[in-house]
Amino acid sequence: MTDLGGLLGALADEGVEFIVIGGAAATAHGASRLTQDIDIVYARDVANLDKIVRALAPFSPYPRGAPAGLPFVFDVQTLRNGANFTLATRLGDIDLLAEIAGGGTYSTLLPTTTLLDAFGRRVRCLDLPKLIEVKRAAGRPKDFEAIAELEVLLEERGL
Amino acid sequence: MWRDPVIEAYKAGVDRTLLRENLKLTVEERWRKLMDLQRFAEEMAAAGKRARRESIELDSKRVT
Repeated sequence: MTDLGGLLGALADEGVEFIVIGGAAATAHGASRLTQDIDIVYARDVANLDKIVRALAPFSPYPRGAPAGLPFVFDVQTLRNGANFTLATRLGDIDLLAEIAGGGTYSTLLPTTTLLDAFGRRVRCLDLPKLIEVKRAAGRPKDFEAIAELEVLLEERGL
Repeated sequence: MWRDPVIEAYKAGVDRTLLRENLKLTVEERWRKLMDLQRFAEEMAAAGKRARRESIELDSKRVT
């Protein structure tokens, strides 16, 4: 199980600039599909990378599915050297993404986000129309059902 | 507005009553419900694994 409150709370408490996307964002908008991890798009400036490290390091992030014992150090340098990280932590799985297809970076996505209240924090989440657009841009057949559900949610909410 | 016929076909299978119930919840309640579902899925997967192992053990005893 991914402790959404724990992970999002840790990021929010450090003041990390991030946007919840993917299945967790879909759930926030009312979708019913099961998702196992949490995907976020994060700002790439060094100050934000430092906040991400401070927020997640206590939960022992490690590349998901990688063999144990790799010399992986979760620090600003590692984040600067990469872009997208699929991580397992003691609170569950989290994907850190610098950019997404059909959406772009943190700053380009910012105008299409909404602030949501949960777990005693304000969490920035991709809005429903943009979430659909991004899923469409991914062009994966496995997303057809998810897109249909999100479009029904738009209809139900009269958007 | 253009509508994708493939997505429109998938919409027929969407459980609208379930979504209407979700929309009555707060965001936190929706996320807590997701975590409950994840926990349940993990327990079911573990139970399935145990059952397969026990079945294999039972089969091997029958053979011997």
